[in-house]
Amino acid sequence: MFKDLDPILHSQLRLAVISLLINVEEAEFTFLREKTNATAGNLSVQVQKLKEAEYITVEKRFRNNYPQTICRITPKGIKAFEDYVKALQDYVGKKV
Amino acid sequence: MEEKQLTEKESLAIITEMVNKVKNHYHENGAYLILWGTVIATCGFVSAAQSYWHFSIGFDIWILTFIAVIPQVWLIIREARRKKVKTHMESAIDIIWIVYIITIIGILLYGNITYLTSPRILAENGIELLSRDTGTGEIKPFKLFAPSFSSIFLLAYAFPTLATGLITKYRPLITGAMITYAFFVISLFTGYANDMLLSGMAAVCSWLVPGLMLRKKYLAQLKQGNV
Repeated sequence: MFKDLDPILHSQLRLAVISLLINVEEAEFTFLREKTNATAGNLSVQVQKLKEAEYITVEKRFRNNYPQTICRITPKGIKAFEDYVKALQDYVGKKV
Repeated sequence: MEEKQLTEKESLAIITEMVNKVKNHYHENGAYLILWGTVIATCGFVSAAQSYWHFSIGFDIWILTFIAVIPQVWLIIREARRKKVKTHMESAIDIIWIVYIITIIGILLYGNITYLTSPRILAENGIELLSRDTGTGEIKPFKLFAPSFSSIFLLAYAFPTLATGLITKYRPLITGAMITYAFFVISLFTGYANDMLLSGMAAVCSWLVPGLMLRKKYLAQLKQGNV
């Protein structure tokens, strides 16, 4: 198992969400759900954890009278993701 | 997606999978390209026809470009409502087209203002431009105009088309832009009627055809449920 890996990112769903958000400017909650195949409840919990860690921002707004949740990665989230990927690369490198 | 402890391979697999999912998400339906390709082609061909066959339709056909802003705004609003994600690539392309619109407005101002400003500046310096009819010998005040004005538009049309084509790696747009650059060079040696014809052909090659191809691709993806 890993050591020194960011526990916030070292989770299947949170890592998937951050991997999606790092590649886009912003994404709706429904987009994240669609791409991760997660349940709304589970995704909501993981998004909240990422938000609490300040890795993402979550904006709630209305469009055509429907509530919309927009997620964006923060500079802190980008740095955390880059560090996580680097740690993974180091680990894989050491293993090989 | 369930929660469980990850191995390094699983972590890398998740990252790769998500990156690919975003990469495959770009779905341009070609609506803007079809709209502007049709409008500019119509304006160009009608202008060329009027000039070739010496007739008038009674109004300036290029007014269509202002009218086309209405469906354009409607398309933007509709797309914004449907869109669930905005990629960095889409943002970059949007910026290119916004800069293009600013450029077109700038060119229009240039074409409609400089020919009035220049005689005034010359007059302030005690200079008046005159033209002499080589047949009759009649001398009249020379009315200034922006030389080969359509060439500047052709150059402007090619720029966002090529930039978008290169960013999206969409060959029909790149080809369309290259053809438009070729038309620009040709237009330097041709008169108004042919320039208008080249403008119409440029709109067909760089926007209408790639737009229709994108539309076809988009509808096929829609049918497969990939959008």
